[in-house]
Amino acid sequence: MRFFLYFLICPLFVVAQSQIYPVSKIPDSLLNDADIVVREDFMDVEVFALDKMKITVHRVVTILNEDGDSYGTLSVGYDNDLKIRSVSAKILNEQGEEIDQIKKNDFKDFSAVDGMSLYTDNRVLAYQYLIQDYPVTIVFDYEIDTKDTGVIPSWVFMPGYNASVEQSRYTVKYPNNKLRPTIVERNLGSFILKKRETEGSFAYQAQGLKAMKYESLSPSFAKTAPQLMVHMPNFNYKSVPGSIYTWKDVGLWMNGLLEGQDELSPETISTAKQLVTNAKDTLEKAKLIHAYVQENTRYISVQVGIGGLQPISAIEVDRVKYGDCKGLTNYTMALLKAVGVNSYYVVVQAGRDKVDFYDDFADLGQGNHVILTIPYNGKYYWIDCTSQVHPFGFIGDFTDDRQVLVVKPEGGELMKTEAYLNEDNLQLTNAEVKLFKDGSMDAQLNIKTTGIQYDRRFFIENETKENIERFYKNYWGSIGSLRVEKFAFQNQKDSVLFQETLQVSALDYAAKTNDQIIFAPNVFNNSGYVPKRYRHRKLPFEVQRGYLDEDNYLISYPEGYNVENLPQPVHIQSNFGEYQMTYEATQGGLRLKRKFLLKQGYYPPEEYENYRKFRRQVAKTDNTKIIITTDQ
Amino acid sequence: MLHRFFITIMGVCSLALGAQEVKFGEINLEDLNATEYINDTEANAVILYKKVNSYFITNGGNSRLVTEVHERIKIFNKDGFEHATKEISLYKNRSSEETVSKLKALTFNLIDGKAVETELDKENIFKTEASYYYNKVNFTMPNVQEGSILDITYRLNSPFIWNIDSFVFQYEIPVKQLVAEIRTPKGFNFKKTPKGEFFVYPKVSTATDHRIGMDVVKTAYHLNNVPALKEEKYVDNIDNYRSGVLFELVSVDLPGYFRSYSQSWADVAKTIGNTDDYKNELDKTRAFDDELDAVLSGLPSKKDKMDGIFKYVKDQLTWNEMDGKYFFNGLKKTWKEKKGNAADINLSLVAMLRYAGLNANPVLISTKDNRVPYFPTVDGLNYVIAYVKLDGTDYFLDATHEFSDVNILPIRDYNWRGILINNPDKVWRIVDLKQPKKAVKMFVLDAIVHDDGTTDGTVKARLSNHFAMNFREEFKNLDEEEYVADLEVKYGNIEISEHSVQKLKDFKGGVTEEFKFYDEEGAEMMNGKLFLKPLEFLTMEENPFKTEKRQYPVDFGFPFKNSFMVNYTLPEGYTVESVPEGLRMKIPGDLGTFTYMVKVTASKLNILVNYEINQSIVYPENYDFLKEFYKQIITKEAEPLVLSKITNGNSQSTTGGR
Repeated sequence: MRFFLYFLICPLFVVAQSQIYPVSKIPDSLLNDADIVVREDFMDVEVFALDKMKITVHRVVTILNEDGDSYGTLSVGYDNDLKIRSVSAKILNEQGEEIDQIKKNDFKDFSAVDGMSLYTDNRVLAYQYLIQDYPVTIVFDYEIDTKDTGVIPSWVFMPGYNASVEQSRYTVKYPNNKLRPTIVERNLGSFILKKRETEGSFAYQAQGLKAMKYESLSPSFAKTAPQLMVHMPNFNYKSVPGSIYTWKDVGLWMNGLLEGQDELSPETISTAKQLVTNAKDTLEKAKLIHAYVQENTRYISVQVGIGGLQPISAIEVDRVKYGDCKGLTNYTMALLKAVGVNSYYVVVQAGRDKVDFYDDFADLGQGNHVILTIPYNGKYYWIDCTSQVHPFGFIGDFTDDRQVLVVKPEGGELMKTEAYLNEDNLQLTNAEVKLFKDGSMDAQLNIKTTGIQYDRRFFIENETKENIERFYKNYWGSIGSLRVEKFAFQNQKDSVLFQETLQVSALDYAAKTNDQIIFAPNVFNNSGYVPKRYRHRKLPFEVQRGYLDEDNYLISYPEGYNVENLPQPVHIQSNFGEYQMTYEATQGGLRLKRKFLLKQGYYPPEEYENYRKFRRQVAKTDNTKIIITTDQ
Repeated sequence: MLHRFFITIMGVCSLALGAQEVKFGEINLEDLNATEYINDTEANAVILYKKVNSYFITNGGNSRLVTEVHERIKIFNKDGFEHATKEISLYKNRSSEETVSKLKALTFNLIDGKAVETELDKENIFKTEASYYYNKVNFTMPNVQEGSILDITYRLNSPFIWNIDSFVFQYEIPVKQLVAEIRTPKGFNFKKTPKGEFFVYPKVSTATDHRIGMDVVKTAYHLNNVPALKEEKYVDNIDNYRSGVLFELVSVDLPGYFRSYSQSWADVAKTIGNTDDYKNELDKTRAFDDELDAVLSGLPSKKDKMDGIFKYVKDQLTWNEMDGKYFFNGLKKTWKEKKGNAADINLSLVAMLRYAGLNANPVLISTKDNRVPYFPTVDGLNYVIAYVKLDGTDYFLDATHEFSDVNILPIRDYNWRGILINNPDKVWRIVDLKQPKKAVKMFVLDAIVHDDGTTDGTVKARLSNHFAMNFREEFKNLDEEEYVADLEVKYGNIEISEHSVQKLKDFKGGVTEEFKFYDEEGAEMMNGKLFLKPLEFLTMEENPFKTEKRQYPVDFGFPFKNSFMVNYTLPEGYTVESVPEGLRMKIPGDLGTFTYMVKVTASKLNILVNYEINQSIVYPENYDFLKEFYKQIITKEAEPLVLSKITNGNSQSTTGGR
């Protein structure tokens, strides 16, 4: 029980003593694969009252090389309800001797602009230390006082890839049971950890966490990192007290923020009603309102008020015709309500990476985006009101297939958004290709995409001719001297189907030698992608979204040319998917049929080499070449 | 080097017009009805009108530079909505700051055939303290629809009266009509430096300005139909080609008072040379003399001293990534803190070289990200390097970069010429920076071809000059294992072993990279024959130049040569059936050459491929040649070498190629 002894003797705020951090004291095991070593990372939270909390942070980081330079930037955020009581840093050399001291005045004050928002209330005090010699150790200390107990910090024992940790400690003190935080542990399993709970306090400590190295296709660090999720069931947030034990409670609290924000002017209500006068059913009404919102508003982020959680009122959005995700969602809800369509406000963690809200942990800290859902005939239709181009009910890879919070009048409820699985994400290519004697080719092709593949393609519809040509030239970059002769697009929003009809040519498609022409008959779907090789794969990997590609090409040879041998058909069946390639001789040419199904999945590290082999076989077959010769 | 591109386009100057009074808030219905811009039908938005009007006012002894801006934008589609959001940057220092006033903005929409306006609310205008050096004002226009017209007007008030913002004539969207005016007090002479493709000569007139009670010179530019500035790859700095005018105070000529700032490059050099930093600070050697004596003690020749000091400064000082022609820290503080901006570091270098008795002087330059200064300007120079004249040879040194060497400067330095500030000899003039030496990448690939189509062998690569510098820079923070894994993918999924790199940490000389490989798909097997690529996995597959036309010069950074020697050992029982013909090709004007040769022996194939580009910059008029050049290389490298089985007793002779 040494750890707790240490705890009792030592005050919560540890006074850094320089000579105790020489680099030579770092165990060798923590230097492997590490750009930085976290020598000490201590956070002590003290809750005094519903609206009074103190946080003390002491962090000592040794930066070993330039890849760790970002840890040389020290910053503390603040706002009207959060005050920085003290902040300072010390810079130590390899021997642990102090070489520089950074005082509060040396820190610069910035607006915490995120590059996205027009405006934000948040500010940050920051200091960037320019590192001259490695290794260097930075001792960073700060203390903050805040009224917002609603966002009590959670704790991640490791800051990221290529970082090891010597000592990490998190403690919370609270005055009474009403102010006792809830702590949920994640991924602590294999890590050395001590924990202790007493009346009025929690304490966790981890030691000797070895650095992990990023490997391609591995899940996001946040999913696998050892961490504590901390939340105060009874809290104060931006001067609004709340009480949250369950997701239902979160929904109820959110309802408080939405209340009254959905008011609209009588004129707008009548406009909305007029829009839907001829609508047959609720769904059609919803579609009309959605189209109206898409036509008339745009996305602009302005982060003000209740910590950026409360939407701007519908009246205001109606007037200026822009809003952020919250404002636009709330506005759309208000319009829908005006025409008698029921819809719900949905909080989600958006991004290509699918991140679920946790069943067992309800708080305000999850989610970074707001969308809308409309229940109709037992099905939920999901809508991202910030997009002016996505079809009704199609959310693409930004918010698909993940657990989200649906805010209903009776409280919050966790639900899963629409998933686009394997075959849903289809790309169907039909092409007729004419090969010429000089190695050039002409082709007419038609590409249909649905699901996530639709999401990756349909945007080109609105691009300039120059950009469209550039897109295809890069997309088929290895086709020599490709020219896009003609293009036409058809975006069937109702069925979420995008069609590209193209005419292309390439002067240098095939290679020639004497009387032979050599070419790859898989003209338009030959990416050659093979995941990179790891001698010792350590992390699991995932295919976040599967897809199905089907290709049918009819290729005609130049007159007088013929093929000696067509390649054998290939069929590969695997856990990861399925691949089929067949070649069939036709009059004066050949027909190629290709089918590639890649399945969504999460796999252990041992499977990685098999996956690589599978993709390698696919890539190799995709690149199969054939020779045609002339009989003369 | 002469920037020919700039000179040729100056001739294109154009575009006069009849001025037309445009008042805020008075838009015409025709514009509101428009669904596209005739001169660029794909434009998402167009600036219908922009007027910038700058003048000086004095108020209780305080002078201010006021700039009135009026901008009218037509939005055609949703992709044009981004032009409805504005950000105005306002500079500040400890005591003064720029401000915005009288910001008014209206959105016009066509509703039932009528123009309906929405006003931007004051509460939707946000002012933020963005950093220590500047504030920001942000706003986005209300009620923006496809077809909206935005009318925006505001006034910028600047206490920094001698820093007149450059006039910009060209934007990411086209401009229909543009008026830019400035009134400067008579006697205050500003140099007006035009740049970019579109330029008109200003109308210059004089008048009396009652607000300041002085005669003023009014300079007015009127332009019509300025096309959008298009982005292209491999451009040194797109701002070099953005049309506009730069202003710089060159002299003050008042009754009884005359002061010249910079008229010629010699004046510019002298002006900078007369600043305290260059005149006095540079010779305060006390900060480092003791330490330096120790460094110099073992170095007999001047050349050794130069190299030694260069290395010493590089080892000791860290660049804080800031430009600068003047000290940020000064010699003493730089040496104490071991860090500084470009001037701190390279002026320290000059000071030390001088201390050691070398003929060393600073040379001012403008780096690539700072535009090319076509005309004499102090403000246009942002950086300083060191120059040594020794035994009739010129040496340029920049100690900010970890892998730079004497006469191998970071690429950012090779933007233009340099301005020599030789105070001791009272020489202030232009010097030609030596252009980068040709960088060479040489590969030797030895491969054994097996009858199952696999190959294995070794690769040895040697990189010199800037190729070596770039490689070292990229490699220094890489995990070797990760790098090798990426290399395997890059080279078509070969397997690499025994990878090694020599002379990686050095900044002198070349880098050598070596590895062994196994290539499962080294040769293609078809019809019982083996088809080899002349350069195995080193084949260039994609033409970097795909667009049909080129507007701006292509900037390669440095001239280079890629050289490949591939030696294939044939599998037992196979013979060479055919090889492609040799080829030698030149781009007109000695821009580049390509050589391709194959040598066939009984059991071996030797392929020699070279291609080189002799100039770092290729002008648009040569773009077609460049594109065709790459196309030919790719086509040639795609032609296979064919091996066939030796049939019983009747071995096929080598045919086809020589």
